[in-house]
Amino acid sequence: MIATRRDLLKAAAAGSIAAAVGGCTPITAKIAERDPALPLPTGPVDPTARLLARTSFGHRPGDIARVQAMGHAAYVDSELAAKKGEDPRFKELLNRLEIFEIGSSDLEDFHKEEVIEQLHQAALIHAIYGSNQLRERMVDLWSDHFNVYSLKGDTAFRQSTEDVAVIRKNALGTFPDLLRASAHSPAMLGYLDSQLNRKGVANENYARELMELHTLGVHGGYTQTDVQEVARCLTGWTIENRFLHRKGTFRFDEDRHDNGEKLVLGQRIPAGGGQEDGERVIEILAAHPATAKFVASKIVRYFLGSPDEAWIDRTAETFLATGGDIKAMLRPILLSKDIETSPPMIKRPLDYVASSVRAVNADTDAGTALRAHLTQMGQVAHGWPMPDGYPMRTSAWTGSMLPRWNFAIALATGQIQGTNAGELGTTPFEATHGRHPHESDKALIAACTGKDLKTALALCLASPSFQWR
Amino acid sequence: MAIKTDWFTCDGQGVATRREKLTLGQAAWTPSRRGVLVGAGLGLLSWLGRDSALAQVTLSPAKERKHDVLITIFLRGGADGLNMVIPYAEPNYYRRRPSLGIAAPTDSRTKGRALDLDGFFGLHPSLAPLLPIFRSGEMAIVHACGSDDSSRSHFEAMAAMERGLAREGSGPASGWVARHLLATEHANDSPLRAIAFADTMPDSLRGATNAVALTNLGDFKLEADNGIHSALNDLYKPGRDEVAAAGRQTLSALDALGRLDVKGYKASNGATYPNSDLGNGLRQVACLVKARLGLEVACLDKGGWDTHVAQGADSGWQAMLLDDLAKALAAFTADLGSEMKGVTVVVMSEFGRRLEENDGLGTDHGRAGPMFLIGQTVAGGKVHAKWPGLEDHQLDPTGDLVVTTDYRAVLGDVLARRMGNESTDEVFPGAALGSGYVA
Repeated sequence: MIATRRDLLKAAAAGSIAAAVGGCTPITAKIAERDPALPLPTGPVDPTARLLARTSFGHRPGDIARVQAMGHAAYVDSELAAKKGEDPRFKELLNRLEIFEIGSSDLEDFHKEEVIEQLHQAALIHAIYGSNQLRERMVDLWSDHFNVYSLKGDTAFRQSTEDVAVIRKNALGTFPDLLRASAHSPAMLGYLDSQLNRKGVANENYARELMELHTLGVHGGYTQTDVQEVARCLTGWTIENRFLHRKGTFRFDEDRHDNGEKLVLGQRIPAGGGQEDGERVIEILAAHPATAKFVASKIVRYFLGSPDEAWIDRTAETFLATGGDIKAMLRPILLSKDIETSPPMIKRPLDYVASSVRAVNADTDAGTALRAHLTQMGQVAHGWPMPDGYPMRTSAWTGSMLPRWNFAIALATGQIQGTNAGELGTTPFEATHGRHPHESDKALIAACTGKDLKTALALCLASPSFQWR
Repeated sequence: MAIKTDWFTCDGQGVATRREKLTLGQAAWTPSRRGVLVGAGLGLLSWLGRDSALAQVTLSPAKERKHDVLITIFLRGGADGLNMVIPYAEPNYYRRRPSLGIAAPTDSRTKGRALDLDGFFGLHPSLAPLLPIFRSGEMAIVHACGSDDSSRSHFEAMAAMERGLAREGSGPASGWVARHLLATEHANDSPLRAIAFADTMPDSLRGATNAVALTNLGDFKLEADNGIHSALNDLYKPGRDEVAAAGRQTLSALDALGRLDVKGYKASNGATYPNSDLGNGLRQVACLVKARLGLEVACLDKGGWDTHVAQGADSGWQAMLLDDLAKALAAFTADLGSEMKGVTVVVMSEFGRRLEENDGLGTDHGRAGPMFLIGQTVAGGKVHAKWPGLEDHQLDPTGDLVVTTDYRAVLGDVLARRMGNESTDEVFPGAALGSGYVA
């Protein structure tokens, strides 16, 4: 079943009607759809270590024993509740960041580069120190699903509000709430050119991505006419910039709104609706069966590592039955044996850095030195230009092996300023892998034998098996 | 499978021979633990013999690349294209540039004249090193190129061009090179596939997770002792998955780069690179191209073109920049020699400059300018231009050369014909694909 390159391109070109007008997104979709050219690694899976690998940014020393003791069900419920208080170190680090103190219009007085650095730092602090790790995982998923690129226009200044009030607030809530918050978010409005969308000269950018990437999916059954009609419904949704008004907040500009009648996915939206037109569109899309299926596929892919059809159908049914309750969709997946038997997933750079720092029990300020390593690996928070979010596929990340190794060595040998490894309490292998070594680990064990602790730790972090979760 | 595991040859053939060679070199260079003592001597020999190791790589029978290596050189600041490729047959050029105009080839002055290309256009005298390349048919010029961006803002115009858009505003936020790499990701997974010789990633590579930004190939190194290096060789040897394969490729690349001795690299055919950022960058690119390490795109910059004041004519500031550009490009083509068969170089700038010189003996931001294409398959020896004319009524309302060729038509042609890209419409959404610039 090995298709040639030419076949893949032909098939992809034939299969994607949106390709000609949709910009870059379809390319990503095409590559994501192809079969992996190489087999996935095989090896022993510890059920608890695997559960933690999928529901957190990696285990800290003691986590695995703790979850084993409390039982998977109690652990999953506690993570879904997400009510654990934050660590003092987390609070201390986050309190140093001005981006959460200063409103988006005042942030504009600061250098954009500094704001972007703080956004990156905040993402690392949350991943490494956040107490409610499943929520942080969902923030990771939704931040890609509703991707915003901080280098475009003024979005950097709106991003901290987006992180808190849109993504984190709704990460374990309901999908319709999340979608509605995103649609009203100045960061998203700016990123997808809503300010250019006005009566007579509709800009389709947001309307298209809203359906293709946020709700229905590219094969979700909408037409080019639907894109144009949705864009018309959303005319006038823009960012406040008038004198004596709170700049950088959502604004509905009546004068720019197209108040004529529209037809969206077969539903008539009567003339004269004003802002309600857009609200109605969000409602229609949020409740659409294609949205249920598309969002289900994202969640299943994110936690099970592959688009398992049976799980997608089951999760989509839950979506429709519960009004898009995210916790209700997650719980059966996380408690399923399929987490354990699902294919391994590559750690993206944020996963890799956070899981390494957590495994070695390091104290970190998530400062410039640590962020530089992550940047080298190619994943900066809000640094993905395309609206589809950082890719999940393995091949997108295999070019960063050298920066991964250099990070592993620097972390193990104390060469990252502001980041210091702590007590492991066990062997480097068990600290990093969360289980006893197995026959398939013999190369790593042999490599570590006779080495000093730092070298052994560097090798465990740099090993092929630690690149997967 | 060969597609994913081999990037030394883009043709998917001859995999075994190429890999065998590198594995042998690797064995000598990074001895296994058991053979440390025995191997130490060999390792030392290999270290001392780096130049001959390079020779071995370069002298091995050259494999035909399936696709070209693309080198982009971005002249940042808005290069004055009217003084690079001079429309000397246009009387208004001399009327509007009484001080800065470059004399026509037929002018009675003995020096500082344009070098005739085709009876209408001439090259700036400082671009003289490029003339033989043009005459041999390996350099094409496309004049009156540009984007739709009429903001004349460096930032907007550069953003538009690096993102592959008609103009800044709506459209994909990723870079055009990144989208090309994404569309052809399955063809090449070398860790050295895309390199920006720069401190930070240029916008044209935004969205390419596998691209590297470095100013010196020496920066691509493992920050560890030989013990860790050798242990990584052992750890990444057995796996059959993508990560293990990528790890082996990275180790091979490190190994090959180690043997290359980029610093001591000697150019072929008597080529001498200027000692400038561009010269050093292109020298490293040449070294990589010859070593066949999977380099597919290299992005280089040359700044300093924003010549509002004291631009100079046949000598002076711009002439100095052009001198460096021409010498670096001439050295590169001479150095690569027959290897230029698989290489295409594109030179571009975010916009050209106003026809009329200003009071500060400089020029202000304009619109259209020339693009250079260099390589053995370019439709060379020719200035391609839908020439809009330079008479006042033929200029745009601001007094600038009108854009008649979308820069994306040229780039699209290169990607489609030379880079194996079958989705150029997605790299350059909404742009008409050009043709006739490369074979």
